[in-house]
Amino acid sequence: MDYLEYLFAGFAVFWAGLFGYLLWLQARLRALARELERLEERLAEADAPVPEASLASGEPARPTPAPPPRRAPTTERGAE
Amino acid sequence: MSAHDVLRAATPHAEPRAGATLGATCAVLAKDLRLLWRRRASWLAAATFATLSVLTYAFAFDLVTDDVRPLLPGVLWVTFLFAGVVALGRAFADETEQGTLDALLVAPVPRTTLYAGKLVAYFCALLAIDVAMLALATVLFNVGLLTPQLLLLTALGAAGYVSLTLLLGTLGSRVHAREVLLPVLALPLLMPLLIGGVRATGAALDLPHGDAPWLWLLVVFTFWSAAASALLFPLAVER
Amino acid sequence: MNAARALLGAAHAARWTALPPLTGVAMLALIVGAVIVAPREAVEGEVQRLFYIHVPAAIAMYIAYGITFVASLVVLWRRDLRADAVARAATSVGVLFTALVLATGAIWGQPIWGVWWAWDARLTSTLVLLLLFGGYLLARSLADEHDEQAARFAAIFAVVAFLDIPIINMSVRWWRTLHPQPIVLRMPGDQALPDAMLAVLAVGVVAVVLLALWLVALRADTEQLAQRAAALRAAVDRREDA
Repeated sequence: MDYLEYLFAGFAVFWAGLFGYLLWLQARLRALARELERLEERLAEADAPVPEASLASGEPARPTPAPPPRRAPTTERGAE
Repeated sequence: MSAHDVLRAATPHAEPRAGATLGATCAVLAKDLRLLWRRRASWLAAATFATLSVLTYAFAFDLVTDDVRPLLPGVLWVTFLFAGVVALGRAFADETEQGTLDALLVAPVPRTTLYAGKLVAYFCALLAIDVAMLALATVLFNVGLLTPQLLLLTALGAAGYVSLTLLLGTLGSRVHAREVLLPVLALPLLMPLLIGGVRATGAALDLPHGDAPWLWLLVVFTFWSAAASALLFPLAVER
Repeated sequence: MNAARALLGAAHAARWTALPPLTGVAMLALIVGAVIVAPREAVEGEVQRLFYIHVPAAIAMYIAYGITFVASLVVLWRRDLRADAVARAATSVGVLFTALVLATGAIWGQPIWGVWWAWDARLTSTLVLLLLFGGYLLARSLADEHDEQAARFAAIFAVVAFLDIPIINMSVRWWRTLHPQPIVLRMPGDQALPDAMLAVLAVGVVAVVLLALWLVALRADTEQLAQRAAALRAAVDRREDA
């Protein structure tokens, strides 16, 4: 009449739930860390003063080749 | 255009403040009833859905049991709940998308008024659907359902239902999958309404129903949801 | 007022220093107490020991939803997105504990009642809680972390849901009841629970509530980090467009 297997199952579910939650939280933190890294990279690219950097990043929006590289740094500095 | 009417009605003239508020309330109510009529397709769809639901229940239950009367309260209230979700799903959506709501919010009208207008309009629509369902079920189940007692219960339920679901209907358009979300959020909140409605209807039909004041549960829930929604609506639409 | 603020500040700072070790010690005490110290229950047998995690988890669940309610009021009053992070954190921990309460209850119910699930008042209202706040989490996860409109809407829903809890409980209690009535809160002398069991239960409540608070703190800090990351992303997007 002791139903030890049910006692064991109950405790197992409890701990499994808690550990599952912690694992999920850890996954979320890692995703956040990755996102921050990506943002740092994008920021570094945007900050790079020479036009090579923007060439290397291969930005799609450049229909007129000549003016943007000269203008982009000044607007950026103005935004700062 | 309808926002313009409200603005004109609420523009402070020399008349006393209370008169202006009353005029604005009437203008808002007229606007909402007009909108309801213009978008009759959406709540006629809800009425069609409710009809199909009652027909399907009547048919399916008739296959398995001889006496469907004990199932009737459940059939009716589940139909009311789901038909309401269909009817109220886009209550604020069009006005939000067309910018009418933003125009109304800068009008010198108490925001609770905007809520009251919608409340009255959709209460009328839902009550019409529910009464039609009662008539349909009277024919299909061969039980007299169009009694004053049941009409009162239905009206109370519809009032509580509309007041709470409209508050959730202000859900911003930036939230994706809004149409799916509304029933997911509304139905658990409406649990007391479902229990009270089903049991009170059972009592009205002389079915076993337990001895609790079910009508009072409906009354308390309706007043609670109307008060909570009226208080929270101004916060919900604030930008 | 100042004393209260200082106390809050100290509690806030303690979440990384005092809370984890305290929680660990208390949880260890709970395991030892529930498995070894507490006497065997005469009627239900050993499976009754689930009581020492089931009841504390239920209390922690209500505390978590209480935190959600208060944080949601702060979101509405102060328009503070950090409170939204706390509300989300408390809700998700509350949902976790609601699920654990239902699961341990079902595992206890199978041998004792002979069924996993019954439409009993307390079971039903706990299930409705799970649906309510699960819906909150679903709605909130469909919008951006730093979307203020979505945060306000979620806060309004949380306030309505929390205020709905008493009405739901009342309605389902009228409807039917099968769950064991609380036997803990009685007058001294009329005490139905032996002292040893009561002591273990008290340790369990302290341990699980501390655990819940720690999880809320962890999750809230994660959410605030996510909000900052989202704001940063928006800023970088704007900058690249410029």
